Amino acid sequence: MARYLITRAWQSALTLLLSTIVVFLGVRALPGDPALALAGEDRSPEALEAIRHHYGLDQPLPLQFVRYVGRAAQGDFGESIRTGIPVSSMLTTALPVTVELAILAILLAAALGVGAGVLAAVRRGHPAEWLANGLALVGLSVPHFWLALLAILYLSVATGLFPASGFVPLLDNPVDNLHHLILPAVILGTGLAAIIMRQTRSAMLDSLSSDYVRTAKAKGLRPRAVITHHALRNSLIVVVTIVGLQLGGLISGAVVTEQIFGLPGFGKMTIDAVFQRDYPVIQAVVLLTATAYIVINFLVDLLYSVIDPRIRVTGDPA
Amino acid sequence: MTNLPFREPSLPRLRPLRAALAAVAVACTVAACSPVSEGGGGTGSGGNQSAGQDSFGTPADPATVRDGGNLVIALSAEPDALDPTLSRSLYSRYVFQAMCQKLYDVDEKAQVVPQLATALPTTSSDGKSVTIPLRENVRFADGTQFDSAAVKATIERHLSNARSARKSELGPVAGVDTPDARTVVIRLQQPFAPLVGALADRAGMIMSPKALKTLGDDFASAPVCVGPFKFAKRVPQNSIEVVRDPNFYDASKVHLDGITWRILSDASIRAANLRSGDAQVADSVSTQDVGALQQDSALTVLQSQSLGYQGLTFNIGNVDGVGAAPKTIDRPIAQNAKIRQAFEHAIDRKALVQAVFNGIHAEACSPISPASPFSSPEAQNCPTHDPAKAKQLLTEAGVKTPYPVTILASNTPDTLRLVQALQAMVKEGGFDLKINPVEYSSLLDEQDRGNFELLQLGWSGRIDPDANITNFVGTRASQNVAGYSNPQLDDLLTQARQTSDIEERKKLYGQAVTLLQQDDALIYLYRQRNLTAFSNKIQGLQVFPDGVIRAAFAGFTK
Repeated sequence: MARYLITRAWQSALTLLLSTIVVFLGVRALPGDPALALAGEDRSPEALEAIRHHYGLDQPLPLQFVRYVGRAAQGDFGESIRTGIPVSSMLTTALPVTVELAILAILLAAALGVGAGVLAAVRRGHPAEWLANGLALVGLSVPHFWLALLAILYLSVATGLFPASGFVPLLDNPVDNLHHLILPAVILGTGLAAIIMRQTRSAMLDSLSSDYVRTAKAKGLRPRAVITHHALRNSLIVVVTIVGLQLGGLISGAVVTEQIFGLPGFGKMTIDAVFQRDYPVIQAVVLLTATAYIVINFLVDLLYSVIDPRIRVTGDPA
Repeated sequence: MTNLPFREPSLPRLRPLRAALAAVAVACTVAACSPVSEGGGGTGSGGNQSAGQDSFGTPADPATVRDGGNLVIALSAEPDALDPTLSRSLYSRYVFQAMCQKLYDVDEKAQVVPQLATALPTTSSDGKSVTIPLRENVRFADGTQFDSAAVKATIERHLSNARSARKSELGPVAGVDTPDARTVVIRLQQPFAPLVGALADRAGMIMSPKALKTLGDDFASAPVCVGPFKFAKRVPQNSIEVVRDPNFYDASKVHLDGITWRILSDASIRAANLRSGDAQVADSVSTQDVGALQQDSALTVLQSQSLGYQGLTFNIGNVDGVGAAPKTIDRPIAQNAKIRQAFEHAIDRKALVQAVFNGIHAEACSPISPASPFSSPEAQNCPTHDPAKAKQLLTEAGVKTPYPVTILASNTPDTLRLVQALQAMVKEGGFDLKINPVEYSSLLDEQDRGNFELLQLGWSGRIDPDANITNFVGTRASQNVAGYSNPQLDDLLTQARQTSDIEERKKLYGQAVTLLQQDDALIYLYRQRNLTAFSNKIQGLQVFPDGVIRAAFAGFTK
């Protein structure tokens, strides 16, 4: 186990370094100049030069990279070219919003998806299965942004049930916080819920027809216990993998959801930074996302062994 | 135009300043008296108006407005650094309006009125010294005293900061003297008419010397000025909050507890927030949404013609980048003005504005508004829509038709609809227009490098006409992306900048427009209208011709 951890750790570090290089060069390969984007209408060659000089954009690329990595290692991602605000402080404000939104979306999606999946598998051939399948199809096919616009139109503008935009930090007012986040979280979670539902259903169908479930039934266990303790527990391995893999999709979904609901999160920050060629912000955001991916994948691998003791993680991943 | 649109009739006879002030007056014209569209025009002080009519909103009535409440304004783009020296985004002006007062302001007729100054400035007979009297008993949001030393510190920072966006606006300012705490004297190297226009914008916003000393280049992190509100909080890329400032000299006029600007870039989302009550004001309403919002009895739409323009720029000499010496480009359209004139004759501006913007924006043929005191028949001469003439000019130029042209344009829906309509239109005149849509930041980059044949972009406009012309068409000027150079035009613009006589400036700008239309490096297409919608629960919201939303003295209805 220790050997495996060490192997994974250096692999992760290498991936991180590579992604840093790719991002650093990638943002600079984009057409467009941050100095121009910042200068807006009032631009003169002197002003552009001064902006480039201030942000070190007039330095040779290798030097810019070394400085960037050196500072990033100490948690200093520079300051936003657009607003002049330190990127680390922007991240501190934006991250909790997206993390909370993502957790809420995952919880809602898992509750809905697992529930509907189990129901569809247990009640196979019944209207409940058709309904669950139908909902999953809708959840997968309808684009987030359209659903979000509909939700705003009917649940905010027409009925006033939920706010159409804005955010209240959790610690300021937990009730208001939930009130603002529930609609975006539901919208964000729909696609994931559909995927979880379909995976749970097929995994449950497999489990329900397997020998150990038949044995459990033969022992005289109640159907509820057979489903929850035996069939579902095994099926959840697949679900956990799916949730891990779908987190990326959730983050890209958050970009759109946050933009529409005006949430001050990571996604909105990313998209605005890209449009404004705000190099320090884009770099920090991508670096952090890459780190999150690596950590999540690692945790998912570890979770396997917790859920299913038969899986023994060894030093040899093959 | 003999009657200057200023409030103080008995100004000392100080000539350059008159010119400067007159320059500012252009805007009056632009908005207040401008019958731009047929049968329309005129002003309205409030309520929903039909397309083409100006409505600026009315001041709040203290009897019907209650104190308290937080106003939420849905803003279409994020302001940049909240530092009057560094700010380059137009959206920052919305926020500054509530917390950073200026030496001068403009009113709804775009007349220059004193704000932190007590009267309009006086200028010495040689035009090189401008004296400004200041208000007494005014304190910054940090409690420190506002005086001439603060004005001096601010203007000197504008001039000396390496990243200053104000330096070019202040032109030939040589220095600032402070004979006493209530008087500021600005010294100029030469007469400079557009100075007062600049002092009625960000260059005239005075910052607290104490905060400047403490924060230095980080002033934007906690800006301190004189204003009805003071900075409270900024959530990057999301919102900016200000709260009422008890130190404000005219605090009794302030009704709201605070104002929040929430950034919502999509026009339909802004409209939805307005309807749901999550925001009470929305800026930059889409021309597509205006009709529906005007139908809503709970909302009011304010509109006024902007001071800027939208146009088409041909690359006729930009090879080494903007600002470099123009060079010859081996393309018939870059070398032969007849082909560019043909292109202009192929455009039907009226149909274009009607089809793409529901007739809400106004046609434009020059950088000078038709109602400006600087306007003249020459300045308003508009090349007619004449496809036959366009074809004839192309034949004279000896090029094959359809003549292929590629236009670089921003990939926003509005711009795409505009250039697609243009594409269909110029086909009749013998042009084959190809559209190359790019994202905005890339577009700026390509235009400055000169990597385009024709491009669509605009200018938001300033109150002095000089700021709407010289930078764009003057030889090697900072925004002359066409690489256009005409020494005769340069002479006219320099004279217009320095002369004090309005009639003279008017004549010079008329001649300049004639030259511009002959060379046709820049084809002016239309003038946008500032469209702002707000809930009728709010009173006292105003939008003047400078396009800035004035919410500082608004309030919720009792």
